[in-house]
Amino acid sequence: MNAARGDGPDLLTAGLFAGFGALGLWLARDLDQGTMAQMGAGYLPRAVCAGLILLGGVIGAMALRRDAAPIEGMRLRPLLVIVGSIAGFAFLAEHGGFVAASLWLIIAGSLADPGGRWRTVLMLAGGLTAFGALVFVYGLGVQMELWPI
Amino acid sequence: MNTFDLLMLGFSEAMTPANLGFCLIGALLGTLIGVLPGIGPTATIAVLLPITFFLPPLAGIIMLAGIYYGAQYGGSTTAILVNLPGEASAVVTALDGYQMAQQGRAGSALAVAALGSFFAGTVATFGIAIAGPMLSSFALNFGPAEYVALMVFGLLAATILASGPVLKAIGMILIGLLLGMVGTDQATGAERLTFGSLDLFDGIEFTVIAIGLFGFSEIIANLERSGSEGVKLAPMSRMWPTREDFRRSWPAVLRGTGIGTFLGILPGGGATLASFSAYSLEKKVSKHPKKFGTGVVEGVAAPESANNAAAQSSFIPLLTLGIPSNNMMAMMLSAFMIHGITPGPSVLTNQPEIFWGLVASMWIGNALLVFINMPLIGLWVKLLTVPYRLLYPAILLFCCVGVYSMNNRIFDVLLAAGFGLLGYAFRKAKCEPGPLLLGFVLGPLLEANLRRTLLITQGDPSIFVERPISLTMLAATVILLALMILPSFRKKREEAFQEEEA
Amino acid sequence: MTCLKSLPLAAAMLTLAGAAHAEWPTDRPIEMIVAFAPGGGTDIMLRTLAPYLEAELDAQFPVLNRPGAAGEITYTALSQSRPDGYTVSSLNTPGFLTMQIDRKLRFDPADLCPIARIVEDPGTFIVPASSEFQTLEDLVAFAKENPGAVSIGTTGVGTDEHMAMLQLERTAGIDLTAIPFGGANEAKTALLGGHITAIGLNVGEYATSDKNAMRALAQFAEERSVLAGDLPTAKEQGFDVIMSSERGLATRCEVPEDIRARMAEAVDAALANPEFQAQAKQQSLPLSFQSGADWQAAMPARLDRYRDIFALIKEGQ
Repeated sequence: MNAARGDGPDLLTAGLFAGFGALGLWLARDLDQGTMAQMGAGYLPRAVCAGLILLGGVIGAMALRRDAAPIEGMRLRPLLVIVGSIAGFAFLAEHGGFVAASLWLIIAGSLADPGGRWRTVLMLAGGLTAFGALVFVYGLGVQMELWPI
Repeated sequence: MNTFDLLMLGFSEAMTPANLGFCLIGALLGTLIGVLPGIGPTATIAVLLPITFFLPPLAGIIMLAGIYYGAQYGGSTTAILVNLPGEASAVVTALDGYQMAQQGRAGSALAVAALGSFFAGTVATFGIAIAGPMLSSFALNFGPAEYVALMVFGLLAATILASGPVLKAIGMILIGLLLGMVGTDQATGAERLTFGSLDLFDGIEFTVIAIGLFGFSEIIANLERSGSEGVKLAPMSRMWPTREDFRRSWPAVLRGTGIGTFLGILPGGGATLASFSAYSLEKKVSKHPKKFGTGVVEGVAAPESANNAAAQSSFIPLLTLGIPSNNMMAMMLSAFMIHGITPGPSVLTNQPEIFWGLVASMWIGNALLVFINMPLIGLWVKLLTVPYRLLYPAILLFCCVGVYSMNNRIFDVLLAAGFGLLGYAFRKAKCEPGPLLLGFVLGPLLEANLRRTLLITQGDPSIFVERPISLTMLAATVILLALMILPSFRKKREEAFQEEEA
Repeated sequence: MTCLKSLPLAAAMLTLAGAAHAEWPTDRPIEMIVAFAPGGGTDIMLRTLAPYLEAELDAQFPVLNRPGAAGEITYTALSQSRPDGYTVSSLNTPGFLTMQIDRKLRFDPADLCPIARIVEDPGTFIVPASSEFQTLEDLVAFAKENPGAVSIGTTGVGTDEHMAMLQLERTAGIDLTAIPFGGANEAKTALLGGHITAIGLNVGEYATSDKNAMRALAQFAEERSVLAGDLPTAKEQGFDVIMSSERGLATRCEVPEDIRARMAEAVDAALANPEFQAQAKQQSLPLSFQSGADWQAAMPARLDRYRDIFALIKEGQ
């Protein structure tokens, strides 16, 4: 990002596009190509992936010729905390029931914002969990256990 | 009996206290599940289906229909307030609606959406009453070849709605197409791009991608931007649209209604296209296309009226031909069948009170929705004054439960978290996720119909130019593409010249 | 004294423990896993049936939908459940059988024992009302003259419609073109618009369609279905095509046999309930009870038949 040339966001775009294209091509390596009249499962995926790689190349080449522009700074805390709390919810929903999963999601998720106070967070967690249990599990019939089995 | 008498018969059926009550219950319940992201009308109706055994046929169907269009209505609320489209049709509403909310104009956006939807619902309902049977026989002219042309046209529309560079939009569409191919190939039964995972066998759910790319990544980005002092939203400046808002949304609503009514009757995917196309058209005809995506009121009015009109007119193929145009309509078909009614031309002649009663109740339901929603707008807007650090855990919870409840599996929740990460990367790369979603929705339809067409013609592509409807649409696509690329080329050349001079 | 007094109590407790099987079902709910999304044919059928089973067994039957992978996700979940008779699932053929042919499964099909078959729904070929074909023979004669020109809408490779089509190709020596659709409704739309020649449907689906718009050519059953008594079978018209889809309930084979027998009895009694039959008639469910044992006994022969057909597909590719 420190080079004098190269538009950061566009280079990232190029990487993402080309990466998706390459990943798709690799995953589709065993699929049938088929013919125009009898297209196989791999016909269009390969075409789309080729298009993505090509497009990634063009965008990347154009970005290199432009002046340097940095990618916005990253903060890891919200990213990791949010993703982690969702993953924990998924695990607990399966093994610990709705109440545990919901409490975890809200309490752990609240860590992403350092401004929060424990008392409000706990009250929020309790209130939302009760609300969710009533509306989703009882009211709308979401098929989830409330408590660990 | 002429149409007017039949409509009167319908209103007398729909206005009975019991039917009115079920209409209200349906509309309320629909609004609720529409507002809750991820909880879709399809699952709710499935849970309620057995209950309708015990209701008279018309009452049951009125209630289920109310849930359906109520959910369409409620879906736009979260799109505007917290940038969380619950359904494909609300993706474009989020583009300008959320910006309006950020500027303190959430009330205006919600009111325009509600009034535009009501107008569109009214027009589409009368469209069903007057021209339903005629429209549905036209819709049957759409064979595989016509769908290919329609989808190509729709994908092009997706590039228009992005405000960034065209190349990035095209790339995002291609990624969407690729994601749409994950799962079992419908035509050959081969597993594609699944990493060998059983959970990806049936492909990826739309809601998983939408909640990941929009919901989760929006939360991450908001928290990142705010740092330690907490996210602050713009103060509420207005509750009600200004006269200027009304003046500018009026023509947009009219155009959106027209597009929505027409596309809604096409079985399979038509309704999804409606809001995208309406937004793209607005941007094309607008005098200030550059401002789209920054909170212009037309960008809310057009897609909202289009998706509501399409929701109404998607009943046309079901009621007149017995063909459901989407999953929701398939559920409605089950509701009819539970009562031993086979929708189709025979219902129109043998049980006119069912058809006309439903049509009349749809209009009443739309009116009820305005009455329910207008006072609620104040409440929704208040919701935005709740500090973000209290709001986002609630959004997180609703998203997670919604994603889980689609298939009752945790894999979907984890996948949505993954798409949250991807959405974060796209933000850093300055790529807009809207076109990706459209590519994802339309891609499978495009591929299936393309393969079908070439199977039927045994590999001869000339069918696309031989059939008038498909030829017209492809020609329109080429012209539109030329219009889009030429100015940008000109600009590029100007830039190049300037660089040389410098 | 105290010893003597407590003896009968201990004895009673022992008997209770020994008779745990006979006590089934207690007040614990019996979970019914459905392999398809809410609102599909199988889901509606089982949700309609559940209250009658609840009345028969005096236990609750909550429905849990685990859709996906043509049923494999549900069958896998069932095979991992505790074998105590409190988990049952839907079972559908030909899906359950065809997935055993060329797919690596995450469960052992031998773990699942059918409780009872509830519905048998034969396949049909449907043409639009305006079509020139009146019988299956007309269609075959035309296909002989014009190989590949007759297009048949199916819902994908290896589905019942597709396998019926392959059987017809083989037995009549003709060449048809299969056009895959996302579902029966999409195929119906293309048929009514005149974009394809014919589609495959189940008789149950045909019975709930608008019969002024389309016509069935034949049903692919051994005997005519209760839903379509005047529609001749393919065999009657001289073509050996047999294809029907069946839906029923299954549980783990490790569930004690007396419990499985009680379940089958309950299903049989529920199906005989006139109220249920009235509701089934409205939904055009071709009820056809078969005990789990009989159903299971018929499966190997069917599986072999499907294996032959799949071999044909492989050759074709």
